[in-house]
Order: sequence, then C-alpha cells, then structure tokens
Amino acid sequence: MKATMRFLSSSPNVTLAIIVAMGVVLLGFKSGGEFFGPVSVTTFFRFLAIPILIGLAQMITLSVGQLNLAVGSIGGFAACLAGVVVTDFGVPQWIGALIAVVVGGLAGIVNGVLIVVTKINGFIVTLATMTILMGAQYALVGTRTISADAWPSVTQFGKSEILGIPVIFIMTLIVAGLVSFYFAKMVGGRRLLATGDNETAAEYGGISIDRSLITAHGLSGLLAGVAAFVAVATLPGVNQSVGGDWLLPSFAAPIIGGVVLTGGAVAVLGTVLAATIVRLVDSARAEFQLAPAWVNLVVGAVVLGTVALGRVRANRAEALIVQQRVRAAEEALAEVEVVR
Amino acid sequence: MTVPALEIKNLTKTFPGVKALDRATLTLMPGTVHALMGENGAGKSTLIKVVTGILHGDSGTINVFGENVHFDGPTDAMDAGIGVVHQERNVVRGFTVGENICLSKMPRKGPLVDWPEVKIQAKRCLDMLDLAIDPDTPMTELSAAQTQLVEIARGLYTETRVLLLDEPTASISVDEAMRLFRVIERLKAEGTAILFVSHKLEEVFEHCDSITVLRDGKTVVESQPLAGFTRDEVIDKMVGRALAHLEAPQRSVDMTTVPALALNALSTTAGHRNVSFELRRGEILGLYGLVGAGRTELARSILGLEGVVAGTVKVKGEDVRIRSVREALQKYRIGYVTENRKEEGVFLLQPITTNIAVTVWSKLAKFMGYVPAKDEQSLVAEQVAQLDIKISSQDQMAGQLSGGNQQKVSLAKWLAANTEVLIIDEPTVGIDVRTKRSFYDLIWKLADEGMAILLISSDLSEMITLADRIAVMERFVVRGEIENTHHYEEMSQAVIRLIHPTSTPAAGE
Amino acid sequence: MTTVMARVKKTAANPRVFLLFLIVLLVVLFGSLKPAFLNGPFVLAPLMSSIAIFTVVGLAQMVALSVGHMNLAVGQMASLGAMVMGLCYDVFRMPLILGLLVGLVAGAAVGALTGWIIVKTGVNSFIVTLAMSFALIGLVPAMYSWLSEGAAFTSKPAGLDLIGRQTFASICMGNTCGTDAVPLIILPAILIMGLVWYLYSRTRLGREILVTGSNVKAAELSGVPTGRRLMFVHTLSGTLAAAAGFMVAASVGSFTPAIGSEFMLPSFVGPILGGTLLAGGFVSVIGTFLGITLTLVIRKGLDLFGVGLETMNVLLGVILLVALSTERFRLASGGRRRGGERPSGEPAQTDDPDQPDEALKDPPESVQTEDKELAR
Repeated sequence: MKATMRFLSSSPNVTLAIIVAMGVVLLGFKSGGEFFGPVSVTTFFRFLAIPILIGLAQMITLSVGQLNLAVGSIGGFAACLAGVVVTDFGVPQWIGALIAVVVGGLAGIVNGVLIVVTKINGFIVTLATMTILMGAQYALVGTRTISADAWPSVTQFGKSEILGIPVIFIMTLIVAGLVSFYFAKMVGGRRLLATGDNETAAEYGGISIDRSLITAHGLSGLLAGVAAFVAVATLPGVNQSVGGDWLLPSFAAPIIGGVVLTGGAVAVLGTVLAATIVRLVDSARAEFQLAPAWVNLVVGAVVLGTVALGRVRANRAEALIVQQRVRAAEEALAEVEVVR
Repeated sequence: MTVPALEIKNLTKTFPGVKALDRATLTLMPGTVHALMGENGAGKSTLIKVVTGILHGDSGTINVFGENVHFDGPTDAMDAGIGVVHQERNVVRGFTVGENICLSKMPRKGPLVDWPEVKIQAKRCLDMLDLAIDPDTPMTELSAAQTQLVEIARGLYTETRVLLLDEPTASISVDEAMRLFRVIERLKAEGTAILFVSHKLEEVFEHCDSITVLRDGKTVVESQPLAGFTRDEVIDKMVGRALAHLEAPQRSVDMTTVPALALNALSTTAGHRNVSFELRRGEILGLYGLVGAGRTELARSILGLEGVVAGTVKVKGEDVRIRSVREALQKYRIGYVTENRKEEGVFLLQPITTNIAVTVWSKLAKFMGYVPAKDEQSLVAEQVAQLDIKISSQDQMAGQLSGGNQQKVSLAKWLAANTEVLIIDEPTVGIDVRTKRSFYDLIWKLADEGMAILLISSDLSEMITLADRIAVMERFVVRGEIENTHHYEEMSQAVIRLIHPTSTPAAGE
Repeated sequence: MTTVMARVKKTAANPRVFLLFLIVLLVVLFGSLKPAFLNGPFVLAPLMSSIAIFTVVGLAQMVALSVGHMNLAVGQMASLGAMVMGLCYDVFRMPLILGLLVGLVAGAAVGALTGWIIVKTGVNSFIVTLAMSFALIGLVPAMYSWLSEGAAFTSKPAGLDLIGRQTFASICMGNTCGTDAVPLIILPAILIMGLVWYLYSRTRLGREILVTGSNVKAAELSGVPTGRRLMFVHTLSGTLAAAAGFMVAASVGSFTPAIGSEFMLPSFVGPILGGTLLAGGFVSVIGTFLGITLTLVIRKGLDLFGVGLETMNVLLGVILLVALSTERFRLASGGRRRGGERPSGEPAQTDDPDQPDEALKDPPESVQTEDKELAR
C-alpha cells in the first residue's frame, strides 16, 4: 500500500498517463471496442481541444501567481464577436476567425493593464471583466444563435481530419508545444516563471513585474481566443452560452496536472493529460448513460484528491529535511561527547 | 586625482515614521575596498537599495565615475556597471544555479535562452569562487551557505566597476569567506571599487582600506582611511557612547528554586536531539546560535508547535505535555516574543487594542463570548503606560508604529496575560540604538520582578550583555552551557570553542 | 485631534457613507424620473426581498473573506441546503422550523467539511471551494432527479409562503395592518445581520477570527487556535449560504437545483464594495448590506427604464472596478498587486531591518475609521 502510494505520488505525469491509459482501456472494454471506432476517436479528440486550450490559458496566469476568472467570458465574447462580424457585417469568414483570436489576446492585455494600473487584486479585476464581457457577449447575440452556416470554410476546417485525428486537435497540440517551448526555452517565458517564483528576486534581477503580469494575462487571453476559434469552427453555431461552462475546467486541468496556485511553475504535459482525463470522464458518463452533472462531481473529487496527494508529497519532503537535521544533530552530539 | 567610482552626497530616504537615510554621504574610490559599517537599522541596506535603483531617494545625488545618475530600476544600475550582492537571499528556487546567476542578463539568441552560454557564464562565476557546484543543479538542492555563495557568484556575473556586497559572509564558513576575499583582492587589483558591508570587525580590518559608518541614517564617519581607527573606536561610532560602554547590572538569581521551565534530554520532531536546560525565576538564560542552529524551532517545540519525540518538558517541576500555544499561555503561563515581528509578532493592520488584548480575550469574555470594549481598553492602557509605548491612540494601527514600539506591542501582549516564563527571540533586530538600550533595561527589570526569561539571539554582544548564563546551540543540539562573565573577549572565545570544539578559534566579531 | 472638521472629513472618506449617499441619490433620481419605482407592492417589495436574500449571500462570502479565504461554492452550498430542506418538507413532511434547521445543519456540515480540508491540507481555499462547487454542482441536480418528480420539491409547509412571499400587510393588529411595501423576508435577514455584526464586533470569537484573518501566523503564536477558527468560519459560511438558499426557495415557492446558481458574483461584490478586505482581517456587515443594496437598486432602476440584463452586468463590473480603483488611488500605496492569496508563501529569510513595510506607508484610512466603529 505504502509502495503504491509512493509510486503514485512520484511523478504526476506518470500517474496521469497511467490514469489516462486505464480510462481508455476501461472505456474500450465497456463499449465492446466501439470506443476505438473511427467516429468515436475523432469525436473524442475534437472535443478535447477546448479543454486543453482553456487549461493552458489558465496555466499561464497561474505561472505568475495570478488567476484569470475571465477565461470563459473572453472565449465566449470572442466567439460571438466573430459570428456577428461575419454574419451581420459581411466580414470574410477567415478574418472573422482571426478576429476571435486577436480580440482574446487584447482582452487579456486589458486585464493585465488593469491589474498593473489600478493595483487591484487580479481575482477581483478578472471577476469584473468576466461580468463585463458576459454582458457584452449577451449584448452581441442576445437570445439568438448565429448559425455556423455563415462560415462554411472555417467549419470545414473544424471537421477535417488527418488519419482520423481532427486537424483542430493537431493544432491544439501544436499550441501546447509552443507554450511548452515558450516556458522552457524563451527568455520571455523564463521571466514569467521567475516572476511567479519570487517577485523580489525577479525585480532585483531587472525583470519588470508589470510587464510579466501583462504578458501572462495577454497570452492567457490569446489562448482563450484560440479556444474561441475552435468553438467557432466546431460548434453548429455560437450563442450566449459559449464559454459559460469553461471556468471550472480551466482550473481543473492545470491543478490536476500539477500546477500550483502560488506561481513559478508550469506543467504543459500535465495540463494536457489532465484535460484528457476530464474528457474521458465525460465519455464514460455518456457510455454509462449518467446525467451530465456527474462529470462535475467526479472532477471535483479528483481535484480534491490531487490536492491531498500534493500534501502527501510535501509532507514527505519535509520529513526528509528533518531526517537530515537529525543526522547532523546526532553528529554534533557525538562531537560533544568526544570533547567531554 | 582619480575620479571616485561612486559618490553619494546628502542622500535622504524617508519611510513613514523613520528617516532611514538622513543626508548620508560616501565616496568610494576605484581599486579600494570600502567598509560600510553600522548597526542593524542604521540604513546600510537602504543605501544599497537606493544605489542599485530598487528604492528611490527623496533627495541627494549619486555620481558614478563623475557622472550624475538617476536609476529608475535595477537594470539601469546594472547598465551603469554596478553589481550587487543583496543581504536577503532572493533566489528563484524553481530555477537552476546557472539560470539564477545569469538572471539579470540572460544570454540569448534572439528570443531564445542560450542555454550553453548560461552554463559557460555560470561556470565562470562559480570558478572565480572555486565553487564545485554544477550550474545545472536545482536551487532547491543547495544548503543555506551554498545559496549565499550562489548569490555572491551572481554579483560577479556582469561586468562591474562598482561592486556592492551587503553582508555576503553572514552565513558562510570561514573557509568559504576566504575564497570570497581572494576574489575581492583580485577585483580590487583590476580597479573595481568595492563597498563591503559586514558586522564582522575582523574581516573589515583585514580586508578593507577605508570606512564609512552610518548611525540612524546619518553618516558619522565619512570615507576615512581605516588605518586611523581601532576596533573600539569603530564600535563606539556604530553604537554611540550609550551602548558601547553598557555595564550589566549586578544581578543575582536564587538557584535553589524549582526551575520555572526545564527541558530534560528533549528530542523533537523538528530534529532536536537531547536538549537539556533549566531556567529559574528571575533568570535570563541566553540561547546562542547561528541562523539555522535550531533555536527558534526549540522555542516552537516548547510551545507545542512541534512534537516531542523523547525526553520531557517540566514546568515548575511537573512533567507537562504542551499541545498548543493557547495551552502554553493559559495553563503554563509561557509566552513567546517572536523574532519575526512583522510576520508573526504584530497584526500590522489591526489597532493597538487588538494587538495587545489578543492574549486576554478568553479571560475577559463574559456570557456568550461577549468582550466588553472598556475592560479591553483599560487593560491595554495599563501595558501601554508600563512599557512606555508611543501611540497617538489605541485605535492606531500597529503598522504605523516604529519598529521599537511595534516590538514593545509584541511584548506587551504577554505581559498583559501575566506570563511567568517568557521566550524572547532576537528582541532587538531592526531597532535603533536608543530603543535597544531601553529594551535591555526592560528585560532586566522583568527578570528582577521574577520573570524567567529564555533569551534567543544570534547577536553575541547582546547575549554577553544581557544573559546570566549562555547555552550554545548548533545543529539542533546544545553544545554546552557557560556562566556569563560579561567579558566580551573571554566569552566570545568560549562560545566559539563550544561551536568548533576541534578546530582553532576562528575570527570572531 | 478630534475637531469637528476632522470628524466630518473622516466620515466623508468612509466608503459606507459614500455608498449610502449614492443609494439615496439613486432612489431619489429613479423615483422622480419614474414614479413607478416607488410603487410599494410591485417594485419596492420585490426589491427589498432580493436585497434581503443577497445580503445574506454577501454575508456568507464576507465571513470567508474575514479570514482572507474565499468561498466559491457559496451558491452550491445554498443549493445543497435548499435541497435538504425541500427533501425534509416533501418526503418527511417536517414542519417549517424543523426542516429549516436540518437544512442549515446540512449547509454547516458541507462548510465544515470544506474548512476541514483547507485546514488539514493547507491548500488554498480558492481551489478547495472551487472543487467543492464542482462536486456539489454534480451532486445536487443528481439528487433532485433521483428523489423528486420534475427535479423540484414543491411541498410547502405552513408558514413558508408567509415568510417568503408576503409583506407586512399580512401582519395585522386589530384593524391596522403593516405596509405592503415591505416584505416579511427582511426579518430573517435583519436577524442574521444582527447576529453576524454581534459576532464580529462584540465577541471574543469574532475578534479571534479577525486576527486570524489579519495574520494567521501571529494569531497562532498569540494563542489563538487558528485551525478551529478557520473551520468555524467555513461552517458559518455554509450555514449562511443554506439560509440564503431557504430564503430563495421561500420567495419563489419551490426548491429547485437552480437555487444559488446566481450567487457567486454578488456575493463578492457586496462585501468588497462595502469595504471588506479581500486579504482578511476586516469586515463590515453594514457595508455588505449597502453594497448589495446599491447594486440591486441600480439593477431595478435600469430594469424600469427597459435596460437589458447585459448592460446591467457590464455596469456591475465597471462599478466594481471603478469603486476599487478610486479607493486604491486614494490610498496611493506602493503595495503589492498579486492575484490570488498566497497562504503558504515562504517568509523572507532575513528580515530587512532598514525598511518599514512599504505597503503601510499610508495605511487605509477607511479601515482605520471602521475599526473604531467596530471597537465602539
């Protein structure tokens, strides 16, 4: 039992990958292999794109020790704006899709600038912009649903696949790869991590905290914008409900994936795997014909479990430090004996 | 006539209630090592922070090689050729050693980090200090001393004409310090101007050419050759007459009484092994040790915040098992004045009343937990008067008080609760000299009134002034206990012998 | 020191006085532009009814904020409490008070569980309450569809309609009846406000909670059992949320899974506009009430002018930002601007003796004034 615990808590990514594998096997078994059928696989990956993107969007703000409650409303607003400009203003469909991405990034930058300029807690600022954007989204579309028929070529892109894998999912993986590259190799990404890890050290090292905060929120918004593009490309239409249920999954993926709220660390692979697990839970839910609400229950429980596991890990690290101390103390004690 | 590398004229910096720098003036010549001395709170770190662009001075001028400069941020100072090793260890713990060293100016290829170059550069800096640390080592794997050494390596990373070292040797070994001084000598020979802050007089006299002394933000010795000074004169200048010649009062402790607090071969979950001492009414027992020796953790163990593995704690002769601070306070009358005033001692954004009454609410509470505000205020007023705490009203927030008054507030809450044993951890950190003196008097007075005091300090001179006996702690073990003769030389030798029983006594303060 | 001018100045700087002034101004403005705004039974009574409910919601959040925590599950705890009450009335045929008590206990229990997890794991309350809200969003509707017909409990015990949907007009002494402009549901809200106010301003428990919020380490080292206080606060937050859930159910007449789904945003807006600090250590019951009142008065007023829900949302967000940033600019503090709380931030390794806390350069005046108010 103890050995199992140790193994489970050794590396989050290994644990997550094992859970994914077990989930896949279980689902495949339960569905009598149907889960591995081409249609199921394509659907599974197509609807995995958004959870991954919003999870990464949240992860980037977490990396500097901030939160972005507005991930969903940025995405929803950007998607609806794209729909409106294409349908009502005759903007070319691909320009409209691009607008979704750009507007997402701009909204994120506004978040960052507001936090830096007003010096209000990021939680409150994004709570406020979340409300504002939700209102703006409603103002754009009201109660209507803008049909995806207006952007057939974008929809076609959303439907296209290579060897049964949706192009949109491949695009998502490329985005994840870029995010990973940014944090691992690029000066900008390292600056964000330094800021999140130790603000004073970063400041003394000549890193502008303000710039880091704006960059992180800007990138977070940009990814929410990409998620909005995916929504535009894959949904039958956009309406006021787009983005409404993104908030909770956006936190679940990075937290289950091993990102801490205090900042200074990212886990791109962990976030992708965790989003996959959430998606598997959803598939299982459909397979077992349970109410959609159960997914939330399971995800909530998993987040709490992850958090508890993290505590186990931290406790072990502390115990290790004490062990070292005890060893040193015993040596010191022996020296005293010798002198006496 | 050479141009001074760094010239500070009439630099003033005010924080609320405190003039951290009051027309401070300093001239640092190239190719010299210049000592900046002063007590805690004298303004040394503030001066360094202003010169490196982290803080902004209120008035005064700074010239670097004759050129008037105004730094908006640390980057400007770096660009002007000023390198710095800060007193606080501020590292990015999630990064490797190499990346921490290069943090201020990442080697890059376009937008990418040039990782091979990071390694090369870091290796170069580490080699200068003869450090065998791999640049790829995560910071989390380093000891406190190694972390400090990496901080020093970081100061050597950029091309510097002026190097500011703020207590670089505070937590490294004598051996490691020697390597640092070799680098300093080399840099000096190359013409770098070095400003060296240290509390260790030995180091200063051995390696520095000139000296500036700050006291309460004012320059009391301005850029004079060190050769003209004796050690005693420097101490005099630093602390002022009032403290330099402070005589401990004659005190006697009745050693026949049952110890108010005794540890018997105590081992704790924090890592202590076999710790024993006895503390009687009216006695001041000093617990001396360096940072990380396990002193504060011992206090926490006594308060029940760490578990007991073996051995016993006795209060007035009875074996006790203390499980929480509340129990220590209410059942055994033990109080703890923390070393970390701002983070653990006072509630900065709460009124004085709350800050002092917090320990007595349970005593004042009436039916349904009702606490009459009047009772609370009169009790607090009593303490404010007794300790002579300077406040405008009880509604004033603790954060608005000066450090010394905050410390008194932090002490007052225990006096209000009638504690009989008081553990005082680093009582005078960050307190100006005059307040320090009044604190010493206060501690003596409390002891004379019968309080048993466990005084924890890493300031040896403070310990030798205040304590009746001194227990020396190192690596979570009490290395020995000695009667205090109040003779500085003799006592410091004895203490060092306890810490390093086998080696020859190293340089003291 | 305490000249009249100084006192006037301080009072004017008090955000609560400012809020009250704004509310009066808006009521006069709306009332004179649209006399319908002052219609008792159709405008004022429903307005007061929602003020009563959301004040309790705001207080549920405020108590969590008082220790520097958050309760993102405030709405879901309300829906859980309401579900248990509905179950008691529908299935077990309990009388009003008994079912209410069972529901409050359910709210308290889920709050206590949340608090226990936070204290035991040391994990940020944001994550734990977020996860808790996930779990409850899953659990509550599932329970409804399992235990009720049509996903709602519709049985009404005696008295539910009286407290939830009637006004003082129903309370008669002989021939004189009360006004029909004031709903009876304000009574439980006033009672709860009084109790919470008493807790924070008069009792040892409330004071210990506030110091725990102000600085948990210092509180622990001063002998305050901080773990128990944190758990109490979350228990209280859950209880108050369940109470708010009951009030919603009573006012709409049935217990449904939708109860509480709209709680999160107002629960923060009310206390924060009212001056409660996100960082903990300071609360204002009256401020929470005024903050909620202001937002609901604006909402109702704009509603009468035919302004849509979306504009009101935008406005609400803007109000929040403007209110807080003006406050910040007034303080002109050079403090930090971090996002979420940092409960386990490592302490600095060496105290910097030279430098007083920069964030305290200019301690918030409003806080100062208010603390006095509380102490009095």
